[in-house]
Amino acid sequence: MVDQQSTATLVAVRGVEMQFGDKRVLEGVDLDVARGQILAIVGGSGSGKSTLLRLMAMLSRPTVGSIRLFDTEVTQIDDAAALPLRKRIGVMFQNGGLFGDMNVLENVGVPLREHTRLSDETIEQMADIRISLVGLDADAAIKYPAQLSGGMRKRASLARAMALDPEVLFLDEPTSGLDPLSSDAIDELVLELKNSLGLTIVTVTHDMDSLWRIADRVALLANGRVAVEGTMEELAKSDHAAAREFFGGRRGRASEHAAVRS
Amino acid sequence: MHFGICSGKVAGNAEIADEMVEGTADIAVSGSTARCTGRWTAQTLDGIEHRLDTIAWPTGPVRFDLSGVEFDTVGAWLLNRTARTLRRSGRDVSLEGADPAATRLLELVESNSGACDAPVNVHVPGMFEEIGRESEQQWRSYADFFAFIGETAATAAASVLDPRKLRWKQIATELQLAGVNALPIVGLLAFLLGVVIAYQGGTVLRDYGANIFIVDIVALAMVRELAPLITAIIVAGRTGSAYTAQIGTMMVTEEIDALRSIGIAPQELLVLPKMIALVVALPLLTVYADVMGLIGGIVMSHSLLGLSAHSFVDRLAEAVSVTSFLSGIGKAPVFAGLIALVGCFQGFQVSGSAEGVGRQTTISVVQSIFLVIVIDAAFSIAFNHLGI
Repeated sequence: MVDQQSTATLVAVRGVEMQFGDKRVLEGVDLDVARGQILAIVGGSGSGKSTLLRLMAMLSRPTVGSIRLFDTEVTQIDDAAALPLRKRIGVMFQNGGLFGDMNVLENVGVPLREHTRLSDETIEQMADIRISLVGLDADAAIKYPAQLSGGMRKRASLARAMALDPEVLFLDEPTSGLDPLSSDAIDELVLELKNSLGLTIVTVTHDMDSLWRIADRVALLANGRVAVEGTMEELAKSDHAAAREFFGGRRGRASEHAAVRS
Repeated sequence: MHFGICSGKVAGNAEIADEMVEGTADIAVSGSTARCTGRWTAQTLDGIEHRLDTIAWPTGPVRFDLSGVEFDTVGAWLLNRTARTLRRSGRDVSLEGADPAATRLLELVESNSGACDAPVNVHVPGMFEEIGRESEQQWRSYADFFAFIGETAATAAASVLDPRKLRWKQIATELQLAGVNALPIVGLLAFLLGVVIAYQGGTVLRDYGANIFIVDIVALAMVRELAPLITAIIVAGRTGSAYTAQIGTMMVTEEIDALRSIGIAPQELLVLPKMIALVVALPLLTVYADVMGLIGGIVMSHSLLGLSAHSFVDRLAEAVSVTSFLSGIGKAPVFAGLIALVGCFQGFQVSGSAEGVGRQTTISVVQSIFLVIVIDAAFSIAFNHLGI
């Protein structure tokens, strides 16, 4: 479309706090997601990464603060107003979030069946194309979630998240629990989606290799805030205590060397 | 940069409406050129989808002019599909004027379109195969059930020989859960059952002036038959299901495997305490249900027939023999063993996800209630033959 839109901010998080009972998980997060970028949210366990992702994907509301999605304030939005926004985002859940009583083909077709008036034949073909796109074969399409391995479930979940051609994809730990080969394949897939479809992607991950490979920008959460934000190179060189702690460990260094070598 | 699928234009329903006025998906065929215009996206394509099938295509080559169109993946696929159909009918098809984003999408659907053509091998079993499979599965589940009974018996035998192995704390907890906590519901239902029987019997007896026999009816029905049965059914629904759900959840979360790996037999920790607790609790609950049922009968007899509680209790000793009482109570431990076995067994049958827990719990309740009633009937026949 227009050039300025390619740099537009699709998600803007301002001063977001989140409290569960007595426990404050987020204490003032500011974060922008720019169109066409892959933003990775990282941080230790319990640092509120997934919570932040859920807030951006309108799956929960913050205690305090503002979240603008496609320039619409979503913290106080009602369901009717949220629906058109929901159609423009896709969420891939950590364990797939696939409906257990439907096979993969039916799962992927759900958003199209619910929100369009396309014929059953077209919906099924579209589901087939998405399933092929995420690298699952035709046999997997007729399997039920319980029959799939973890990696296949994640792929199927990704296929469903893309069903309505979303502008923003939220990925919750896309490579956790996968073997290195499957993790690489998911990374490749995410990069390909970004490059061929121009998707904007927000991903939550611990996976250092994955960070070096796919992330355009990385936001490190520590103590309920975004401690450091920047490219992976910037974060690796950062003097910030949290960044040193997170990226300075042996795994972080090993991934950096691997990334530099390749 | 421009991407057909993320035009950034659609920001709400109102704007979609605006968009549709100026950019409705359309196709116009003139001569050998088919000009596609507007936004070909999932939300707006349903009209076009049906028109594409009925359009009068030129007999010769077809040239698609895509310069005025904006695609999402669904739109690209519809166009790709149409082009394929035309090619298959022997026409020459060319796609022209697509911008880079649209071209990328067309390539993307083209390279993944194989999935739509691949025949999916869904094996639909015939009738005989279905019967065979089902029989085998049933047979297996019976075999598993008997193996489970054997395993439990072996664990029980080991515990009898070495009572220190018994988990007394678990047994006490299970007694609390299955016995004490069930008192309110069992008491209320038994009381109401007594009221109902006294009412049904009482109206008939009043006509014959045989009021005092209401005691025989209520007492015999409750003590011999209904109290053990209703108690067992309540316990099957309440406790049997809880056993299945608990063990099933532990199967899903790998807790059972963890027990095994630590060297604790799940039978010893989970099954035996439940079994012992229920075999103790159910007869006690049945006695309690007897009493509550009789109280219900007394209340109803008093208000319907004017029979005093004193005369009701006086008659009781004549109406119910010790044998009758014991034949009622005697069934309870058998029911208890059955409910505990089925409940635990079905719990261990859970596989896969949380969904399996729900499914197996339903099976467990249905099976144990079914078996309780069947065994109760078997008892009646046996008692009849023995003349009890």
